[in-house]
Amino acid sequence: MTQQTQSPKTGRGFAQIFADKMKASTLRRLRPWMQAGVFILFLVGLVGAGRIAFLPADLFFRLDPLAGLAGMLAARRVIPTLLVGGLIALALAVAAGRVWCGWLCPLGTVLDWTPAHKPKAKEADLHPRWRQIKYFLLGLILVAALLGNLSPIVLDPITLLYRTIATAIWPALVALISGLEQALIRLPVPGLLDAVVTVDNFLRSAILPMYQPVYGLSGLTVLLFVAVLALNTVRARFWCRYLCPLGALLGLVSKVSWLRRATNDRCIACGRCARACPTGTIDAARAFASDPSECLMCLECAPACAQEAQEFHGHLTPAAWQPYDPSRRQFLAAAGAAVAVVGLSAVTPPAERPQPFLLRPPGATDPDFLSQCVRCGVCVKVCPTSALQPSLTAAGWPGIWTPVLVPRIGYCDFSCNACGQACPTGAIPRLTLEEKRQTVIGHAYVDRNRCLPWASKRSCITCEEMCPRPEKAIQLEEVEVVRPDGETLTLKRPYVVQERCIGCGICENHCPLGGQAAIRVYTPTDLGVGQALQ
Amino acid sequence: MISRREFLRRSMLYALTLAGGNVLAACNSTPPPNPPAPAADAAPTAGAAPTEAPAAPPPPADTPAVAATQSSAPAAATAVAAPPDATGGVYLAVARGQAPGPAELARRAIAAVGGIERFVKKGADVIVKPNICNAYNGPEYASTTNPEVVAAIVALCLGAGAKRVRVMDFPFGGAAKDAYKKSGIAEAVEAAGGQMELMNTLKYRAMDIPNAQALKKTEIYGDILTADVIINVPIAKHHSMATLTLGLKNLMGTVKDRGALHASGLPQSIVDLATVVKPQLTVIDATRILVANGPTGGNLNDVKQMDTIIASADVVAADAYAATLFGLTAADVAHIKLASERGLGTMDLDSIKIEEINA
Repeated sequence: MTQQTQSPKTGRGFAQIFADKMKASTLRRLRPWMQAGVFILFLVGLVGAGRIAFLPADLFFRLDPLAGLAGMLAARRVIPTLLVGGLIALALAVAAGRVWCGWLCPLGTVLDWTPAHKPKAKEADLHPRWRQIKYFLLGLILVAALLGNLSPIVLDPITLLYRTIATAIWPALVALISGLEQALIRLPVPGLLDAVVTVDNFLRSAILPMYQPVYGLSGLTVLLFVAVLALNTVRARFWCRYLCPLGALLGLVSKVSWLRRATNDRCIACGRCARACPTGTIDAARAFASDPSECLMCLECAPACAQEAQEFHGHLTPAAWQPYDPSRRQFLAAAGAAVAVVGLSAVTPPAERPQPFLLRPPGATDPDFLSQCVRCGVCVKVCPTSALQPSLTAAGWPGIWTPVLVPRIGYCDFSCNACGQACPTGAIPRLTLEEKRQTVIGHAYVDRNRCLPWASKRSCITCEEMCPRPEKAIQLEEVEVVRPDGETLTLKRPYVVQERCIGCGICENHCPLGGQAAIRVYTPTDLGVGQALQ
Repeated sequence: MISRREFLRRSMLYALTLAGGNVLAACNSTPPPNPPAPAADAAPTAGAAPTEAPAAPPPPADTPAVAATQSSAPAAATAVAAPPDATGGVYLAVARGQAPGPAELARRAIAAVGGIERFVKKGADVIVKPNICNAYNGPEYASTTNPEVVAAIVALCLGAGAKRVRVMDFPFGGAAKDAYKKSGIAEAVEAAGGQMELMNTLKYRAMDIPNAQALKKTEIYGDILTADVIINVPIAKHHSMATLTLGLKNLMGTVKDRGALHASGLPQSIVDLATVVKPQLTVIDATRILVANGPTGGNLNDVKQMDTIIASADVVAADAYAATLFGLTAADVAHIKLASERGLGTMDLDSIKIEEINA
């Protein structure tokens, strides 16, 4: 405190103590460890989602102020977990700039691990106006969210990475492990089967899912991710500099950050710091000063300077507004784009009439669901049967990457309510198991043109057998039929009692017919069917 | 960092492992790991006794047909020849009564058919196969075998000197681990010293079923085929297609693709499966039975308290007796009738010695 009284206006004294103890160049060496640790935490949270009680499945979304802000704006309510986590992340930015981006963000970490463009001497950087894109995207996301539309949130970096690992990279890894096991047990080595099974049992109980997860959209998801990685070869951290809307939000807040990089008069304009900077914000034109909105606080510049001409200390005045920072005109353009997104979202068939097979996670219904779901993919990850799939067109293009239930791939387990427990925004309600068992996801209908007893006079009651409802939503009616060979057969033909059916889809999932099932779950419609039957 | 050369070397090794594995697998597919040949011999032989004397069931002192001819078929899960007279000629035992509790009923019924030692030798590797249906309903809903019965059998086997006793099933609703827990069986079995085994997909073996009428080939859990003793512990319950699910139907839990059994004609498929998966002892749990909306259950109104345990080395006879608890006869249940006709056991309850224990 004594030091602070020496220069109360800047708070510099306190930083000096800090700087004496921890030289920036020393601190810098901690960064890769910090990044790796946080990335491992991210992976553990993802792989262990729903299994590890003390680690919330949505931890990183809580610490993602963009997802939190957009989610709350669109849902028009305060979500305490997101509010608290988001404020922590923003407070961090007020204290020390974009440390989130440089030290914590798992996507940033992946980008640091990806081969990056290395600036050659005298190579001109991209025009600074490129940096505006991220502000444009930020404006787009927030204004659209304000108007109740969350479609553009798919560009949030945490959702992007989570979705990619959860629905593409991790399932691929699981498939490779299973393939390796399958290959190993065929080797003629005595005892190998037991050894492999022992290892497999351990892996499945610890981290691997019981069944191979499959996702229809994994290809597209990976393509977007690979594109983000590939841009690293254009410029290091291209995504973070020019595109990341979360980086834009944290960057704006960092204009008033306390801890910042500054240069002093010992600078000899050698330019080494500029070449070391991964975001290219150290600009010769600004006398090698950096813009705190662009600086990731990675401290890569610290060892580059031989003159001790750089200082990281406290500031209480806002940083200068840069020519590429968002202008009113740009904000209006983003708002216009958001309005266009909202308008175009109405120009999609599901806006007029729900798609017949659009099934949402239990308790979620459109259109409310669309304005609460941040497309993070946590529910998709925790669903044990892969019933929840990121959608491509099922909900129209504005619903891309929102979860839909696809019974032919997986059924909604009668003893599971994991999706609602894991959803960061409450878009999928937090139902108790008892409530979920009563919640209508859809209604099953028998396709009599294909169903074995109806269409082929062959016995089959698999759907009825599978039905988990205590009183069976699928009932059987007995009829005498004459088979082609003249034999008389008593057949049981299934029909659905709609008011008992919750649309869990286990019947559709297990229907023995090839290809499409002869019993399918449709979007629930209120046609008064229940009243008619009662 | 590893060098590029090292990376390529490791990649090649991995690729070779994969390729080699696949080539070997391709070679193996002609003679499967479990050669069907001995089983082919065994099936007709096993069927021989009853078919030769359809009207006259095996004399009480004789070993049940199912347990007749096993030494020639080491790979198939076939019964060890039982000592003919330890039973006093009792072919099937029924223990009933509220007071002793299900565990004690199971012990008495097994004792009456010759005691566990008749089936489990010292050092034997035993698999107990209960019916664990789903992860939704606890034992009070009668969709899963009573945990006390399973645990009592595990304890008996260990008492007889079994090397290990594993308990497993392949539930169709929810994850197996959750179903094991929900059924109460996991806890009871582990307390009794048995092991719950999750049926690992790697362990299934494709095999042809010789002389099959419907299910010509299927994938069966390897250990079911190689264990020394299989004890089949179904619960008696309603099933819309099979009419009832009892001992024979319970064997479906040992195959990977059950949809195929439905599609190729359920009764015949069940019997085809029973020609290769042959439990040495069947203990039917009818402590509580599910009389409607089976096999999944979930409604206590469909549950009927019966306090009955049936034991026999002949799964067909055990099923035939259990059918009577539902007011039916074996002839009403297609797969029991077929199994009897194909010589897997007898459904003629009048021709066998039944000991009824009323406690």
